[in-house]
Amino acid sequence: MDLRFTEEQEILKQSARDFLATECPKTLVRELERSEKGHSPELWQKMAGLGWMGLIVPEEYDGIGYTFQDLTVLLEEMGRNILPGPFLATVTSTFPILEAGSEEQKKDLLPKIAQGEIILTTALLEEDGVFDAASIRVNAAPKGDDFVINGTKLFVDMAHVADHIICVTRTNEGAPEKGITLFIIDASTPGISCEVMPTTANDKLCEVRFENVTVPRKNILGKLDEGWPIVENLLRKGAISRCVESIGAIQTCIDMTVAYAKERVQYDRPIGAFQALQHKMADMWTAMETGRYLAYEAAWMESSGLPCAKEASMAKAYVNEVYRDVSKWAIRLHGAIATSDDHDIPLFYRRSKAADTAFGSTDFHREIVAQKIGLG
Amino acid sequence: MDFSLTDEQKSRSREFNDTCNELNKKRPKSLVGFEAIYELDECWEYNLYCAREFAKKGWLALGWPPEYDGKGDMMDRVLFAEARGYYGTPGVDIFGVQMLAPTLLQAASEEIKREFLPPIARGEAMWCELWSEPNAGSDLATLAATAIKKGDEYIINGQKTWNTGAHRADWGFGVFKTDPEARKHHNMTFLLLDMKTPGITVRPIEYLDGSAPYCEVYFDDVHVPARNIVGQEHEGWSVVNLLAGFERSGINEIMSMMRGLEEMVAFCNETKRNGKPLSKDPVIRNRLAQLACELEAARALAYRVADLQNRNEMSLMDASAGKIFFSELGERFAFVAGDILGPYGQIRTSRWAPQNGQWEKMFHEHFITTISMGTNEIQRNIIAWYGLGLPRMR
Ligand SMILES: Cc1cc2nc3c(=O)[nH]c(=O)nc-3n(C[C@H](O)[C@H](O)[C@H](O)COP(=O)(O)OP(=O)(O)OC[C@H]3O[C@@H](n4cnc5c(N)ncnc54)[C@H](O)[C@@H]3O)c2cc1C
Repeated sequence: MDLRFTEEQEILKQSARDFLATECPKTLVRELERSEKGHSPELWQKMAGLGWMGLIVPEEYDGIGYTFQDLTVLLEEMGRNILPGPFLATVTSTFPILEAGSEEQKKDLLPKIAQGEIILTTALLEEDGVFDAASIRVNAAPKGDDFVINGTKLFVDMAHVADHIICVTRTNEGAPEKGITLFIIDASTPGISCEVMPTTANDKLCEVRFENVTVPRKNILGKLDEGWPIVENLLRKGAISRCVESIGAIQTCIDMTVAYAKERVQYDRPIGAFQALQHKMADMWTAMETGRYLAYEAAWMESSGLPCAKEASMAKAYVNEVYRDVSKWAIRLHGAIATSDDHDIPLFYRRSKAADTAFGSTDFHREIVAQKIGLG
Repeated sequence: MDFSLTDEQKSRSREFNDTCNELNKKRPKSLVGFEAIYELDECWEYNLYCAREFAKKGWLALGWPPEYDGKGDMMDRVLFAEARGYYGTPGVDIFGVQMLAPTLLQAASEEIKREFLPPIARGEAMWCELWSEPNAGSDLATLAATAIKKGDEYIINGQKTWNTGAHRADWGFGVFKTDPEARKHHNMTFLLLDMKTPGITVRPIEYLDGSAPYCEVYFDDVHVPARNIVGQEHEGWSVVNLLAGFERSGINEIMSMMRGLEEMVAFCNETKRNGKPLSKDPVIRNRLAQLACELEAARALAYRVADLQNRNEMSLMDASAGKIFFSELGERFAFVAGDILGPYGQIRTSRWAPQNGQWEKMFHEHFITTISMGTNEIQRNIIAWYGLGLPRMR
């Protein structure tokens, strides 16, 4: 056992930290929140220059060929700094292409992803808002060599700037998990319309409507009717990714709170001298550190190809609440100053809500854990 | 012991509820949450309208002595607060009606009472609280803004902050250092000032949800008549403590959560996920049942505080316990509701948001009650030191 990062990972971590600190200051974060797009093409190009979008893309497709765990090292730094935009949407949509894409699809898309030329997202959730196969009702009907897609997707991350949408559709009305098919759809195809939903984190989740959208059969990702296991893998990897990103954010909330508690004087002493606050900060740190190693364990298992549905769900369920509670306490320990939008802590608190629901809520993942520990 | 209301109280409670229900029909849809009245013009107008309607019935002077045109008693205030909380009806200025008026009745001169109480009762003068400063929050006694007496005026200089509704208010009550040489707690004076006085600059601050309920207030040689004083010169600290005792009892917030619980129950009964009503989900049932227990406990404790106040037996411990409990219940409620709504819990007021986005709003607003009115850590100190008699921090 060796729970340290490798030397390359340490280098990646440090360079990501330095890059984000200079290239993605909080002024940009706020500007992007307020803008309609929520995406900075300039920043995106610089990130592409560092090879980030191609981090997990194999070298044969012009990527860097790093592991999933290497990716989580980068994601933690993105969480620590906050990086708005379509990075996570693109990377999580890359997983299913790597896993199930045809050679033609990989050759077409992966080099462009790695170069930062295209943005991807995955359209999964619908009206029910739950991550299970039964709630997929957007329909893809065969018509000659094509399929025609109809229906509405919700909460689609950054769909309004995406070039391609991986759409999870129903192609067969049989058992819920048996008739799911994934399509890679060019976002400019006629019949697709998109509207940004106003969210707590201003993170540009979209409603995407498909009206008689015609997609060639060759755009099926994986096999007809057999898409659900691909979705499950995406959800699991997405959950771990989001979790590690949250750990970075939690770390910042704690760092800022501890620093402020040393500085802010009330009753002739730094507020950090009050034991009531010291214990609270010690609890926050303990919650982070347990969540951190739980998330690292899940990331390591995923990266090593070990089955880890249970660990991934444990990590997501646990870290969801840690992020929410720590960022809430960060505000309370700061006092009024951190209830103002000018302060950075609310940027994190509001994102804890987004992190909570993305790739499965606490209750959703607890149910998976309940099944995995043998509750009949 | 008897928790019941008299027949007379029951009928008054019905009248309060009916009136709020009626006023609700004119409620703007944009009025979501507690603080929106300060932000949007149409909500502020509605607040003023409700205030005038209440004033016509004499309800802004509930519990005042008859010589100041008061009506009813302290229990009426409680019943009225319940009705307003349940219907989310604004119109009772928390600063003027709830906090300043009872303070003036106890601590102000006859002249000040005659001048300032009637406009409050008529719902005409809206107030704000000018206490906190950048470096004086919990430790308010270290405040730095000064009011130096010159002839029959005070000249105010300095800065206040986090002042709720200061951009809307006609008047402000504040504490300022009047004797920089004197020792702590005997160096400040409680003053009433017209917010339109030259030299006052009010700058709204954005709250974390992007709304603007509170402000920074700057004073640059602001002249205030020396007679606008409450209590004794340099002894404003005792007025501050008196007024702090009248800050929100929580009854309003508790009844608002009671209503919220009813709405959440209705939502769970109506909404199906995977073909099954949410109300059948054992996790949801368990969590909402727990909230219901806590809400009833919060209300029972709020009654206890009201009952003590009715008898003029103020219990610091119960008031602090009530404040901690209802405000942290607000946090838990916001989180449970958000969990139940799943991804919809993050949708701001819009066509996609269930129940007009009130739950998303609550995710931001619960800090108002845990941090303001004396933070919950300070409330815990009060219980420990003054209530339980534990050794005090020096
Ligand atoms: C929404 C909102 C509305 C407000 N409206 C008004 C208004 O209308 N008028 C007005 O004057 N002010 C208003 N305030 C300000 C409010 O009164 C202060 O925020 C409050 O007194 C706390 O002060 P602070 O924010 O400076 O925090 P600080 O006093 O700096 O406290 C920071 C942290 O230290 C803790 N702490 C401080 N002292 C102790 C101690 N002795 N023991 C243990 N812990 C301690 C606090 O609990 C907190 O967690 C408002 C605040 C908010 C959030």
